[in-house]
Amino acid sequence: MAQGLNRRQIGVTTAMIDSYGELIFEMSHNKQSRRGDPIRELDFDAIEATRHERGMSDGQIGEQIGLSEMQVMYIRAMMERRRFHTNHFQRLLELGGGKRFREERFTAHEERFQYHDDALALRDAMSFDPARARHYSEQGWWNNDTLSGLLARHAADRGAAAAVIQGETIISYADLLHRVDRLAGGLHGLGLGRGDVIAVQLPNVEEYVISYLAIARLGAVMTTLYMPHREREFETLLGHSRARALICLADAGGFPAAQAALNLKLPKLQRVIAIGEPVTGAVPFEDLAGTSTGADSLDLPLPVAADPMLLLYTSGTTASPKAVPHNSHTMLGNGRLGVGAHQLGPDDVIMSAPPFGHLFGLYALHMSLHNGAANLLLPSFTPPDLAAAIEAGRATALLAAPAHLAACLGLGLFDKHDCSALKIVILSGSAVPEEMARAASAKLPNCEITQLWGMTETQGGLYCRPGDGIEISATSAGRPAPGAEARIGEDGELQVRGSMLFPGYFDNPDANAAAFTHDGWFRSGDLAAQDGNGNFAITGRIKDIINRGGVKYNPREIEDLLDSHPAIAQSAIVPMPDKILGERACCFAVPTDQGGDPEISLDTLCAYLLGHGIAKTKLPEHLVLLDEMPLTPTRKIIKGRLPLPETG
Amino acid sequence: MGDDDVANATEFDAREAKKAILDYCLGKGALAAGVADLDALERIAPPGHRPSDIMPKVKSVISLGVGGQTQGAWAVPAKAMGYFGSTETRAYTISYGAAFFIESKYQTPAIYCPPDMDNEKGPRVPLQSLKLHAEVAGIGARSLAGDILLHPEFGYMYFASIFTELDLPPDRPMAQNPCPAPSCVSMYRQIGRTPCQKFCPVQCLSGKIDEAGKQAEMHYDMAACAEISQQYEAVPALLAEAMAAEDAQGREEALFDPDNKMLWYKMSVGSGGLLAQCFECMRVCPIATKAPLADPIRRSKAKAEA
Repeated sequence: MAQGLNRRQIGVTTAMIDSYGELIFEMSHNKQSRRGDPIRELDFDAIEATRHERGMSDGQIGEQIGLSEMQVMYIRAMMERRRFHTNHFQRLLELGGGKRFREERFTAHEERFQYHDDALALRDAMSFDPARARHYSEQGWWNNDTLSGLLARHAADRGAAAAVIQGETIISYADLLHRVDRLAGGLHGLGLGRGDVIAVQLPNVEEYVISYLAIARLGAVMTTLYMPHREREFETLLGHSRARALICLADAGGFPAAQAALNLKLPKLQRVIAIGEPVTGAVPFEDLAGTSTGADSLDLPLPVAADPMLLLYTSGTTASPKAVPHNSHTMLGNGRLGVGAHQLGPDDVIMSAPPFGHLFGLYALHMSLHNGAANLLLPSFTPPDLAAAIEAGRATALLAAPAHLAACLGLGLFDKHDCSALKIVILSGSAVPEEMARAASAKLPNCEITQLWGMTETQGGLYCRPGDGIEISATSAGRPAPGAEARIGEDGELQVRGSMLFPGYFDNPDANAAAFTHDGWFRSGDLAAQDGNGNFAITGRIKDIINRGGVKYNPREIEDLLDSHPAIAQSAIVPMPDKILGERACCFAVPTDQGGDPEISLDTLCAYLLGHGIAKTKLPEHLVLLDEMPLTPTRKIIKGRLPLPETG
Repeated sequence: MGDDDVANATEFDAREAKKAILDYCLGKGALAAGVADLDALERIAPPGHRPSDIMPKVKSVISLGVGGQTQGAWAVPAKAMGYFGSTETRAYTISYGAAFFIESKYQTPAIYCPPDMDNEKGPRVPLQSLKLHAEVAGIGARSLAGDILLHPEFGYMYFASIFTELDLPPDRPMAQNPCPAPSCVSMYRQIGRTPCQKFCPVQCLSGKIDEAGKQAEMHYDMAACAEISQQYEAVPALLAEAMAAEDAQGREEALFDPDNKMLWYKMSVGSGGLLAQCFECMRVCPIATKAPLADPIRRSKAKAEA
């Protein structure tokens, strides 16, 4: 209505608004210009000549373009409404108190805080039981720690301290913050932002740490690809995670990772960022890292702890991927609480033998960042490289898989290198052979050899503490981590819950239905036993149980015996379908350097086992010799990939 | 008031009356006051917005300005600063009193000029331009900051007007425009923009300075400025959003999300924040913030030194 009259009564039509709206808007007071200072100078000729520029009244506009004043007024009001942005007021909320608007650094409020649909879907997966969430917060297990916050804090408090050590290169916390800020700004410039999934396939090099922290600074989510992953895994994991970018090597040991990702033409994958030689179509990492505008100068919003920060894959690299989302509450809380439990401090040098693509590697990195300690990088594992790096970097804490340590022991590397700075070794990733733990303890007498049990879903769920002694730490995975609870189910399965537990698999309802008990405990799939002091020993995997004609047994003890056979480097026993008995045991073995030894046969191995008191019903009934086992990044045998022989 | 105080129409001295009225305004707290040339106003203002449209027998328009901000105000966050000023009641109180003073002392009709919007023309069109009155009365000059008036001594002020049928001798507009300040000219020479233009949150200001360091062009996107400073316009917009929402959740968000709940709050209490000004251009203006008598601290120091 205008002056009590509606649109029809004053003769305004949609066509008129469309035809004259822009013109009227421009001629009105909404757009004002002035040339010189004619009013102050009372230069009436100039005032009249420039009246149209200063913004005309509705009546004056009407006279000029041939509409009534009321029509102009109505059309102008409609145009003002159409043009009005209700959210511009919010810009004021960030100004003042010494802070001024900077156009060159400005990103529209709504753009800075925009989430893509995929990002919102991932956020939607971060659903926790409200009572548990409240409990974790009240206990202080969940706080607002974020990687960005930790990095900024250490850069401010102890900026000169070493954050990352790679060979001769030492990156201080202050420098790390600077480089992270720049890369985050560069990633932002590519259109990447909060909630976006960014994949990383890199070895444990400084660019990994910088990339991870830059992704975190953006409030984006990192998903990891293992170095052995190729096109098939790329397609599955990048597709399932809806990754919008991939940071990888141009040449990953002969595999053209960046080019392979580009060739897939995945619809969601907008950017491939390559380290190394230029790749057509890929963005050079160096360009982004060298950007002149960092995230802080862009005033990008800081992430908060409830934001998802990681999306890790546990299995199913080709079908039905199990994607594990974590936010800073679950992920960083576990690391923060672990620092105290493992008795680590800011002067420690923490090293991970597993890759950062694996959760155990990230656990080491998170503990460094919680402490402001140094993280010693091992780009790729070989036993000599590991031992040499421990010596050169004066590592005080080593996180490793049993296989890493066993290899070093086997080669006598702890005799050849000074590893005396080590005060704790945390073993995880696969079952820890008791004898190996004892041998390591004997070789490193001033070092605590401890076990940690964890999964991508649970992180560090159980672990031994310094001071437990080798009797406990060689035979058990210790007690629940702070914030964690563990119990053994009716079927002997280890079940856990706690502040470190993931909320559920992303986009995999079938897996979720199987993963949790009705009362919310996570079914680990591991078999465990608990001693009177509360220590849990992992005894096997439920799915490894062999059911031979109704007689069920865990092959773990047989594998341990076979692994101690002088002619066998690694062994695995898996159930093999059988028409009569249902299942029989099939033994896979990798011979030692004497691999061609004719003595390795099913008969000789069975005799060996019988000699060690193994019941006949548990003897393997097939033997397959392999050159190497399929291994996880923590060098755990992937039994599902062992090639079962054809059976009659 | 005794009989002696009532001026006899036959003994009316326009100059003395003008002085008495302006002294009244200054005595009540105005920093500056003057009389605008009515003929000029009638020629410059568009039809419907001329003084005679409000008061047909008007002979004089008196304009006064009060201090804009305290010195401390310039440092507060913008969201708090939005509550400073806008509807500056001190100026209106003085002008209201001045109208009473004129009628009482001179037995001549006077009105306090309504400072608000024209009921007929909608909320972006004022009844009168108080800015025009002040400029013609010589107590402010148009700046590059969207024609906000500035004074070389008092910086940034709020204005109010009184109309009267008393015929008072008019003042002249300022001989010089203090905007742009030398430092602004220097910045313009370097980057092509003055501080007010550079730091406007919606970039609604632009313009040019000539070789002599004077204003050559001023461009002001008032619509953009309104988007950041006039929240009342958001009220119908959010109601429209709620009506257009696809479902109950959308309607709930449109009506009750934190921003919109704040609008309801401001409406319910008549909060000045609903009409919040954005002071970012003035915050960086050396005249507004650093003129010799721009704030109470500077004024009291100057008074003490004098």
